[in-house]
Amino acid sequence: MEELIRITDLNKIYDSGAVQVHALKNINLTIERGEFVAIMGHSGSGKSTLMNILGCLDRPSSGTYLLDGIDISQQSNDALSDVRNQKIGFVFQAFNLIPRTSTLKNVELPMIYGRVPGKARVERAKMLLEKVGLGQRLEHMPNELSGGQKQRVAIARALANEPPILLADEPTGNLDSTSTIEIMELFTQLNREGVTVIIVTHEDDVAAFTDRVLWFEDGQLVDDRKVEK
Amino acid sequence: MMLFLENIKLALSAIRSNKMRSILTMLGIIIGIGSVIAIVSIGDTMRSVIAKEYENVGINRVIFYTMAADGVYTNEDMFTQDDVDQVKDAFGDRVPYIDTYCQDRKTLSNGKRQQEQVYVYAVDAGYDQVQPMELLYGRMIDQGDVEAKRHSLVIEKKIAENYFGTVNALGRTMEIIDNDGREEFTVVGVYKEADSVLTAMSGGGMPTVYVPNSVYFTPDSYGWELNCYVDETADINLLRTQMTNYVARMTNRTTDEVICVTAREEMSSIDSVMGILSGAVGAIAAISLLVGGIGIMNIMLVSVTERTREIGIRKALGARTNHILTQFLIESAIISAVGGLIGTLLGIGIVALGGLLIGVAVVVNPMIIVIAVGFSAMVGIFFGIYPARKAAAADPIEALRYE
Ligand SMILES: Nc1ncnc2c1ncn2[C@@H]1O[C@H](COP(=O)(O)OP(=O)(O)OP(=O)(O)O)[C@@H](O)[C@H]1O
Ligand SMILES: [Mg+2]
Repeated sequence: MEELIRITDLNKIYDSGAVQVHALKNINLTIERGEFVAIMGHSGSGKSTLMNILGCLDRPSSGTYLLDGIDISQQSNDALSDVRNQKIGFVFQAFNLIPRTSTLKNVELPMIYGRVPGKARVERAKMLLEKVGLGQRLEHMPNELSGGQKQRVAIARALANEPPILLADEPTGNLDSTSTIEIMELFTQLNREGVTVIIVTHEDDVAAFTDRVLWFEDGQLVDDRKVEK
Repeated sequence: MMLFLENIKLALSAIRSNKMRSILTMLGIIIGIGSVIAIVSIGDTMRSVIAKEYENVGINRVIFYTMAADGVYTNEDMFTQDDVDQVKDAFGDRVPYIDTYCQDRKTLSNGKRQQEQVYVYAVDAGYDQVQPMELLYGRMIDQGDVEAKRHSLVIEKKIAENYFGTVNALGRTMEIIDNDGREEFTVVGVYKEADSVLTAMSGGGMPTVYVPNSVYFTPDSYGWELNCYVDETADINLLRTQMTNYVARMTNRTTDEVICVTAREEMSSIDSVMGILSGAVGAIAAISLLVGGIGIMNIMLVSVTERTREIGIRKALGARTNHILTQFLIESAIISAVGGLIGTLLGIGIVALGGLLIGVAVVVNPMIIVIAVGFSAMVGIFFGIYPARKAAAADPIEALRYE
């Protein structure tokens, strides 16, 4: 299989003056195209820190991160914006839809920054909302949706520019068990369609949907194993 | 371009979702722009009114009169036709028209019972060359009338309507009555008096009729002043000095006793008063625009802080630094431009209302709307720069974590 992510000797140190937090320690990791990966570990173990670096929102303190052949640590801020726009879809625990902005507009947003022309953009946004089962909710505002619906909008938005990778930091953390299963089934379906999906979770039930679990402890990758089905 | 349009839509929806706050934010700009527009429009209107008045009076008109030594005017202090002819000989090349401005109140009648008071203005030939007149029928007093001392008469449209029931009164006979008796005149022209705000406001003046000066002017009649219309290209200052000297010598006076009034000077002094007024109001407007701009900066800073998380989301989804920067710049420009537009309409509205009340046609330069809106957009951009830079510089992770 083709290699999508390669992380070598990666460290992340938060330096807030007096205190230094060594959030990630010497991480070495490769993820291939089409994988479905869960990142687990206790609170404060560095999962979100890793996700932020994987998502090009943050830079490593040392080590290298190759994403689809691009050396992320060498890129300018605007180049990172473009990488996020084209290669990565984010799904957050807190949904993070833009308030007072319709479902449709939320899904269009990454395509606006990606300069997709108006008509094609609206069509694709509608198609994606259809796909996540919200074809009837195009003009709803985020505050008119349930948590599960919001997260499905967020997933549709994450897919807008057909990125090869979906990053989801505790996407089911704010959802009940029914919605959790719906969302995980959606991720499974997307993974089958070829999207590489990386999910941070505390729940074994959620991890059970994935194929590979990475276990973090105190900033270190301590376990990397296939999920038995 | 696509982003630009999206940003405008975004800004408008942000303004809409915060109507009250937006209006309050715009208030400074509204007042500033509104007062500028009002003043500029008032100035333009006044200038056009005054220019029109002077057009009626004649912008190239120069008047000479003498100071009576003891304050009591006698025939000695006035001008005869002989004086006029002398001045005409001396300055005719630069002064195409001169008369003594002999305007007397007399009674006009159609020979029957109907009669009214009019000004009878004894003009020389060529008066209509220097003083624009709107002739509806016939002609103005001409050289033939003057030379042959014909009893020709040019009347105002309303007189024609009153006496003859028709504007075309050519060939009709009228009588001018004074203490010496009555004299018959034949109507050779009908003119329409120019609309004048001043006469309109004073309830309409007495109409003027024109007759040849040779008919009214005997060698021993006198006029109050030398009423000259100078050539537009003449050096008015030089001419003024030369003519003052000449008139003084002719009448055996010192130059101090000969008073010269030019329409141009009066007009420019009114212009300079308007200029001072505009300057003062402009300063006030500039201050209120400054305050308005600071208000916009303040509200944009609040907005940037409130929307920190939104900025983080946008960055995560691929917004570049410039995208965020322009989004907020456009938003502040639009708040300000909308304020400017409201201010413009308000200013024009107030002036138009005022104009309606006093019956003056208000002059609004359409360019001023464009300039006002454009200028307020620039104020918005200027004061939006700092908040927008702050928004654009936000770190995506910290912004996303913002509660
Ligand atoms: N901006 C920051 N500045 C300083 N320290 C930080 C910062 N962000 C995270 N940390 C620290 O880095 C460590 C890893 O944090 P991280 O958010 O990655 O944990 P996590 O595994 O996602 O935990 P959780 O399961 O609770 O979300 C923690 O000790 C945290 O306090
Ligand atoms: Mg976390």
